[in-house]
Amino acid sequence: MTNTYITNATWALTGEKIDLRMGHGDEPVTHYMSDIPLPGVNGITPAGEMQIPAGARTINAEGKMLLPALFDLHATINLEGHSKRESIYRAGQAANHGGVWGMLVMPSKGFIFDNAATLDSFDDAVSQRSFATMVPAGCITEDMAGAQQAPYNTLAARGVTILSDGGKMPDSLLMLHRAMKYAAEMDLTFAIRGDVPCLSKNTYMHPGTTSYSLGLHGTPACAEEIGIETLIRLAKDAGARLHIQTVSTAEGVDIIRRAKSNGMKGLTAEVALHHLLYTHEDVGDYNTTFKTLPPLREKQDCEALLAGVKDGTIDCIVTDHTPCLSFAKKQDFVSAPHGMVALDTFLPAIYTYLIKPGKLSWAEVIKACCTAPVAIVNPYDREEDTPVAAPLLLFAPDEEQHITPETLSCGTTNSPLLGTVVQGTVTLPIN
Amino acid sequence: MNPRKDLVTIDALSDEDIRTILDSTSAMKDIFTKSVKKVPALKGKSVLTLFYEPSTRTRSSFEVAAHRLSADVTTFTVSTSSVVKGESVHDTIDTLMSMKMDYIIVRHKNSGIPAVIARHCKASVINAGDGAHAHPSQAFLDAFTIKEKYGEIAGKRVVIIGDILHSRVARSTSTILRRLGAEVAYMGPGPLVPLQQHTGIPRFTNWEQIFEWKPDVIYLLRVQNERIDTPFFPVSDYHSAFGVTEERLRRIDDLNLSIMHPGPVNRGVEICDAAMDYRNTLINNQVENGIAARMSILYHLTPQTQSND
Repeated sequence: MTNTYITNATWALTGEKIDLRMGHGDEPVTHYMSDIPLPGVNGITPAGEMQIPAGARTINAEGKMLLPALFDLHATINLEGHSKRESIYRAGQAANHGGVWGMLVMPSKGFIFDNAATLDSFDDAVSQRSFATMVPAGCITEDMAGAQQAPYNTLAARGVTILSDGGKMPDSLLMLHRAMKYAAEMDLTFAIRGDVPCLSKNTYMHPGTTSYSLGLHGTPACAEEIGIETLIRLAKDAGARLHIQTVSTAEGVDIIRRAKSNGMKGLTAEVALHHLLYTHEDVGDYNTTFKTLPPLREKQDCEALLAGVKDGTIDCIVTDHTPCLSFAKKQDFVSAPHGMVALDTFLPAIYTYLIKPGKLSWAEVIKACCTAPVAIVNPYDREEDTPVAAPLLLFAPDEEQHITPETLSCGTTNSPLLGTVVQGTVTLPIN
Repeated sequence: MNPRKDLVTIDALSDEDIRTILDSTSAMKDIFTKSVKKVPALKGKSVLTLFYEPSTRTRSSFEVAAHRLSADVTTFTVSTSSVVKGESVHDTIDTLMSMKMDYIIVRHKNSGIPAVIARHCKASVINAGDGAHAHPSQAFLDAFTIKEKYGEIAGKRVVIIGDILHSRVARSTSTILRRLGAEVAYMGPGPLVPLQQHTGIPRFTNWEQIFEWKPDVIYLLRVQNERIDTPFFPVSDYHSAFGVTEERLRRIDDLNLSIMHPGPVNRGVEICDAAMDYRNTLINNQVENGIAARMSILYHLTPQTQSND
């Protein structure tokens, strides 16, 4: 493979302009401006100083940002009328379109990762059809039914590092406590959303002015907060690693902050991008696109979640990508499924709504969407016997994107950004 | 009134729409006293009642209203099992649209279903109650009943008592009364009365607060046990804590207050026997006015199924 030279790129972390040489042969360079290794890069100089051989393949990255591609810790690949392979293909394409090189795939109907055969056939389909690295999260319980623990030893031998029942909190805390004690020995991480199922049963959105006027029963914030507190105490007692999924309330952030400041080890947390950007009022007149689990909350919650990202209480920003057929989302709000798609638009949406308005810096975004999730998942190439490292991407912040059904390669249109214009386009992979 | 296809919520109506429908209700009621209780206003039009929830009063009230306007009425019985078997509301509606209905009157346990149907078809959709969301025809008959009793609605005080949380009647009736200048308050067991910051409506939890507030109308809601899986409060407390007892009826009588109720009434729970015969109990007026209000609603809606022949 010949070298590729990228000139005049702006390194997102520092804003410095650099030239770099990508190619195989030499050891990857750990960039002098950051502690992030840049895989495949074996030479960096300030812009204009690199000697480029005549006729070499050159990409002029003038006006573009260079940054490590993002890793999404929470994506679901619903089949929604497509075959497994097609669904994997579409998710991979959507990921790359949104600047995501790899993702943790939640178990879901069609992808129940509770046995070796399913994991093997998934890995096989991914290696043939995906543009992105897809790491399956193993099930906590068989068939995600919440009763019998899945065979963690078998799953771990197939490369599983994270266990999840797709965000569902098991009803039996005794089962979960025993599962945590068992899995702690294998250094597996439990990824669970804080919830008390009996408190959130038959509820459809955040309780407030909108839920009152629409006549929809509200999901009390305390269901999530009691759930988070419970999970933390169980994991602490069992000595297990715990990753709290999709925190949505201000007090949920406080509970995690307190646990971390008390020195709890192995505790991490994530927020879905939509919980930073939207509130329950966006449901408007039964807009099912904004039906999410947990529900969209108040403005104060968005602000507290953002503060949690900034101070490190919340480690990661995730997509919680959930494709839903437009037919399903056209049903009434009670019957419609939860979830939004977000892979396709991930980096442009983060740039447009968080970086550009000055709410988060590039450094904070790279930490929350690249380094932190990679450290939690530890994606590992079992064939090469090496850790998988993030590739680089180029981001053109001045280019606009109109989000239409055609630009959403994930295959469904349940995106809150449909019909809007976002700032920035992604080139991934670069060469 | 500008042509309007559907009646899904009171919120969607303009002030003029509300006034127009309310004003014609009186004219519709005049028809009841004639020897021929029928006018040809909707002759040749098809009205369908589509009730996914059991209902006797609302359904028959709409059917009588449609008959008195000379419309043809079809009753579509939806057993809950066919829904369980997987036919979606969309598919049911496609079937019904093939039958070329002009008006669809729908009731469903899920909030928001009539809005989905209204978007999906050309017939006029009338919401006859969806979940805890809205029951606009009830709102019109309630407003008309108060107007008939007092001559005007503005300035009147109405307290709605009971399970507000699950009540579409509370939502729609409070909305129309407030739009027409009345003041509304809510009272009931704590877990069943939403916070004032969510509703914008004063929230009381006992009768003393109500009497102090000086209402004109006591509006009782039915305690809806069928919607409740885990109990919200001890039901055996209800009558003594929130019901119209004989003692409270005496105070209501002294103060000359009116009593309303959307029916069906649970005697001995929200209301004592004696209150049913109280001189200012307007429950039967509500039933009669319900037909007139629904005639007015049907008359003023404009389905998009008509050609210009």
